[in-house]
Amino acid sequence: MTDYKEKIIEIKNLKKHFETPQGSVRAVDDISFDIYRGETFGLVGESGCGKSTLIRTILRLLPPTSGEIWFNGRDIAPLHRKRDLKPLRKEMSLVFQNPHSSLNPRMTVYDTLARPFRIHGITKTKEETTIEIVKVLKTMGLQAEHMIRFPHELSGGQKQRIAVARALAVEPDVIFLDEPTSALDVSVQTKILKLLEATKEERQLTYFYISHDINLIRVVSDRIAVMYLGKIVEIGKTPLIFGEPQHPYTVGLFKSVPIPDPDRKIGEMSLQGEVPSPVNPPQGCNFNPRCPHAMDICRKEEPELKTTEDGRQIACHLYNR
Amino acid sequence: MTNLIEIDNLKLSFDTEEGKVEALDGITLGIREGTFHGLIGETGCGKSITGKAVMGLIDANALIEAGEIRYKGKDLLHLTEKQFQKDIRGNEIAMIFQDPASSLNPVFTIENQIEEVVKMYAKAARSEYREIVIGHLKDVKLPDPETLIYKYPHQLSGGMKQRVMIAMMLACKPSLLIADEPTTALDVSIQAQFLKVLRELKEAFRMTVLYITHNLAVVSEICDVVSVMYAGRIVETAPVGRLFRNPQHPYTYKLIHSVLGVENSLEDLEEIPGSVPKLIHPPKGCRFHPRCDKRLTICDKAVPDTITVEDGHSVACHLYTAGEKYDGL
Repeated sequence: MTDYKEKIIEIKNLKKHFETPQGSVRAVDDISFDIYRGETFGLVGESGCGKSTLIRTILRLLPPTSGEIWFNGRDIAPLHRKRDLKPLRKEMSLVFQNPHSSLNPRMTVYDTLARPFRIHGITKTKEETTIEIVKVLKTMGLQAEHMIRFPHELSGGQKQRIAVARALAVEPDVIFLDEPTSALDVSVQTKILKLLEATKEERQLTYFYISHDINLIRVVSDRIAVMYLGKIVEIGKTPLIFGEPQHPYTVGLFKSVPIPDPDRKIGEMSLQGEVPSPVNPPQGCNFNPRCPHAMDICRKEEPELKTTEDGRQIACHLYNR
Repeated sequence: MTNLIEIDNLKLSFDTEEGKVEALDGITLGIREGTFHGLIGETGCGKSITGKAVMGLIDANALIEAGEIRYKGKDLLHLTEKQFQKDIRGNEIAMIFQDPASSLNPVFTIENQIEEVVKMYAKAARSEYREIVIGHLKDVKLPDPETLIYKYPHQLSGGMKQRVMIAMMLACKPSLLIADEPTTALDVSIQAQFLKVLRELKEAFRMTVLYITHNLAVVSEICDVVSVMYAGRIVETAPVGRLFRNPQHPYTYKLIHSVLGVENSLEDLEEIPGSVPKLIHPPKGCRFHPRCDKRLTICDKAVPDTITVEDGHSVACHLYTAGEKYDGL
């Protein structure tokens, strides 16, 4: 595996809180991590852990509550939403979970794909735009004839490939993929994943995947982060985290995944209880009420994310002494 | 062992503006008493409508063109709605759906809702209702049932709601449970807890279940026998171990090898070219032939017969009939 050195994104103490009548929801709560140029970074977590909020905040689709987001050497957190963000949209793009709702049903594939070229002034004439669209469609294994189609005339897999093509059109540095295959059937999932992989090589992209599908994250990512209730609990190289998960949540989460092999059943050690409300998170470590190893300190003090000897970072009192 | 339910050559179509959709094209399926029978397939293959047909819940624009559904030897398709409701639905066959949030009534407490079922099906005195309700909540391992009964659905998480649905199902003591994607809306850790409860109930009550899902990993976790559906037909049925180790239909093989497991990498994964066909104009012959890499000349002409490979394992594929073993290469 290649070692990536140059940081493309640096997140420092990022917070995103939502004010609700019940109180403040700390969806992203003091998160810091880096993403390196050229890697595929995977973020896993169960629904409600804040993973979608995190990437939307990094993309500045949501204003951060506090913290810094360094991208290509500058902090984009304080940028003015209306005035300064347009160039950023060309450098980072996003593929949404559900292609059935992320494509405008009244626009042909041509119209959908022509927009980014026009908005960012990448092409000057209609002919140029058409040439570029055909190129990006080819990258996604589609033909020029698909240009005149409407979304309802395409299959789910084709729609998602159009959504990826739209994200690629602006030639971004980083593509964020929010559950890119969860709305698709398994038989078409493989094709999308392989196309994404090939495109990444060809265009030297950086990918940031988020998913609740742990095996998906395992096969695509160089490094992974595990998120629980607004915080990153463990982060490191994929073989390390999967080979030897250490945070009790990571261990439990991995053991809950059903294995497509009738001879192997879900481990007895799978997680107990449910995710607590983010409005009123537990004292100390967020995970302590469900943790089989909870100690006194876990109910009082919040563990910090610390680097261990093998190079991973982990936020757990079991390892942080 | 006898089959609790037998579906025999069931053909069902939908009348739509765009034309006739042949949603089920001759489904034959037998479920033995005491088994978990998985019905697996991708979106639109007809797995949910099969479950609904057994339950007598097909939509108004659906037409059953041929075939029979026999439950304990009794023909279900010719029952009147009144007889179905009185004799079958609930007390003999019960169903749970994908989204527990929309299956429960938001304005009644958990006790109200389970009690309603108890009132209808359990032969018990009114004074015993509460005890029965709490008993069923204990069966599904819900914590603190004594307080839970006063709660409303919005106060429960998705996993708890789905367990309440199971408790309600237990209250009507059906012989057959149809579960249609019961864990799709749940997180993995909650899914794991739910599957564990279901497996324990299976041991305790010897339930017969038709488990409908698109998730092969869940099937391998819980089912005894699996039928694989593709575009309105059953292409293969086998005991779960045999199906995973020795699939005979190219579609089954590809499906198993396109699932991400704990060890395989992206390169190992099989790709199925094309996509699931629309059933308004389904492919002629074998419906999988346009996507099949081992297709023979006969495949786009004749519908393959379902052949028994060995006891309990059957496949509908011309390759098998022609004596060729599909090995995925």
